[in-house]
Amino acid sequence: MTVLAVDKLVKHFPIHGGLLQRQVGSVKAVDGVSFSIAKGETLGLVGESGCGKSTVGKTILKLIEPTAGRIVLGGEDITALKPGAMWPHRRRIQTIFQDPYSSMNPRLPAGTIVGEPLENFGIAQGRARDERVAALFERVGLRPEAMRKYAHEFSGGQRQRLGIAKALAVSPEVIVADEPVSALDVSVQAQVLNLLIDLQAEYGLAYLFISHDLAVMRHISHRIAVMYLGRIVELTDKRTLFARPLHPYTEALLSAATVPDPRRRRAKKAIVQGDVPSPAKPPPGCHFHTRCPYAVADCKVKDPPLREVAPGHHVACHLR
Amino acid sequence: MSGNSGGILEVRDLHTQFNTLDGVVRAVDGVSFDLARGETLGIVGESGCGKSVTALSILRLIPPETGRIASGSIKFEGEELTTLGEEAMKRLRGHRISMIFQEPMTSLNPVLTVGTQIAENVTRHLGVSKKAARERACEMLDLVRIADARRRLDEYPHQLSGGMRQRVMIAMALSCDPQVLIADEPTTALDVTIQAQILDLMLDLKEKTGTAIVLITHDLGVVAETTQRVVVMYAGRKVEEAPVEALFDNPLHPYTRGLMAAIPRLDVDAPRLQEIPGMVPLLTRPIVGCAFAARCPIATERCRTAAPPMVDVGGGHTALCWEVTP
Repeated sequence: MTVLAVDKLVKHFPIHGGLLQRQVGSVKAVDGVSFSIAKGETLGLVGESGCGKSTVGKTILKLIEPTAGRIVLGGEDITALKPGAMWPHRRRIQTIFQDPYSSMNPRLPAGTIVGEPLENFGIAQGRARDERVAALFERVGLRPEAMRKYAHEFSGGQRQRLGIAKALAVSPEVIVADEPVSALDVSVQAQVLNLLIDLQAEYGLAYLFISHDLAVMRHISHRIAVMYLGRIVELTDKRTLFARPLHPYTEALLSAATVPDPRRRRAKKAIVQGDVPSPAKPPPGCHFHTRCPYAVADCKVKDPPLREVAPGHHVACHLR
Repeated sequence: MSGNSGGILEVRDLHTQFNTLDGVVRAVDGVSFDLARGETLGIVGESGCGKSVTALSILRLIPPETGRIASGSIKFEGEELTTLGEEAMKRLRGHRISMIFQEPMTSLNPVLTVGTQIAENVTRHLGVSKKAARERACEMLDLVRIADARRRLDEYPHQLSGGMRQRVMIAMALSCDPQVLIADEPTTALDVTIQAQILDLMLDLKEKTGTAIVLITHDLGVVAETTQRVVVMYAGRKVEEAPVEALFDNPLHPYTRGLMAAIPRLDVDAPRLQEIPGMVPLLTRPIVGCAFAARCPIATERCRTAAPPMVDVGGGHTALCWEVTP
């Protein structure tokens, strides 16, 4: 059952310049992205900085307005909803950030922070709210006594648990998790990843899991979409992606990632050279052709469409 | 290699402490290791384990207002650094021992061109003419594979991408042919395709120049792929040291084992990640017994009360643990 569907999502940010600050161009942060997520499923969105993966997340959450495309949440089109009309839907889609601390009021006790959405959505008040918050604390592995503590008194991992408790408070269907473990040490990262997996099994949550870390992706995702300069270049189930990647960019990402095994050390890691081009001036044709070791003349002029080359395996490449 | 006198760098029982409002923090609490000529040594550990403070101590860059090397010895080519005068230290830094950091933007001067900055280092340490220094800067940019090096000399740091800035930092660090390069999380802020390029570059240059590298990182993947020997740190202490293959084949310390089981793998499907329960101990209080005891699955009463011995299992493999048998 699809809980979130995104169709040809586009987000362009204007670039202003010149004396009169007229619009002189636009950053095509998200350039026609489509995918869907089912109940209980994790879709991983992976890519390097500036590929637009976080913008996809923010747009779906309607923290920024999409330029074009459609966002369908639980069968309802929320694309054009104004903030007031969006309000009831916010209960259904929640978010977890990389740095939960920046989204927490330092002057409020943790219990109040986690309980706030319960009051805002009229779910529970007073004693009932406190009881629910206490249960949430326990569920995410925090002691209920910690409700009286302030955000700065928690460690990084505990703060991420708080962020998860807050997102869970309103019983959402979808959670957009943007690099939720990137700032954590590996021992703590394992705790948070395990918690997220357990919660998904328990509540049937759908996750859009945004990360740059392929190993984390392999661990938590069911399907993975690889983004490059605003577009999805490959989308398939995780097993296929790691066993038989088709897009040269996916191949490059996989070969560049380090493996904690000194015997699998390769002589040369980098199969692509150079930097990611600016999303304000993406190369014509296939965006990856400037770094692609296999590029042919066609790649420089024609946009490769995202095609289904095998059941459930989508790739945007002229050569596959 | 450990313990032999051919080491270019010898760190013995290093204690570095900081004064904070909560008391004295024992950031580095008795760490010893050697670095051999031309070797790549990894220092790995999680935040707050003291790996960066160890590096800053070697370069004597601990801010004197808040911290100090409380005791121990750091010998570079036989010369004691802990007591060396500041002027002599300045002649050493950036010349015979260099360092690169995680975020190059914070170590590059935003108002000077990269050419000027590299040339400045060369003039200061090698006393060559301005023209020769600029030539050397150009050579170095070429060496770190920055295309169109001559034109790039006149660019400012903000005109370069993150990967290019890290290349410039490496060019500057190697501009005076140092014997030791200390790289503190040099690729952590970079995207994976750029990280691969920088790691390739560092290893290539090491082959060419023979510079020994101390690579400080939290990333076991980077350690596995680039280093020859590894020091694992926890709570300011060295808990294990081994040649890289031995460490990954047969990790001895429960903390090292825990770390390895906690990382999600790119190459295998793990049903569930192993968690290391609890948190790193506070370093403001002296730690009785083993620093890892509270989180250790095999800790006994002895671990909580008596400091564990450094057990040598041979082949340069040691672990600070009561439960490891030689």
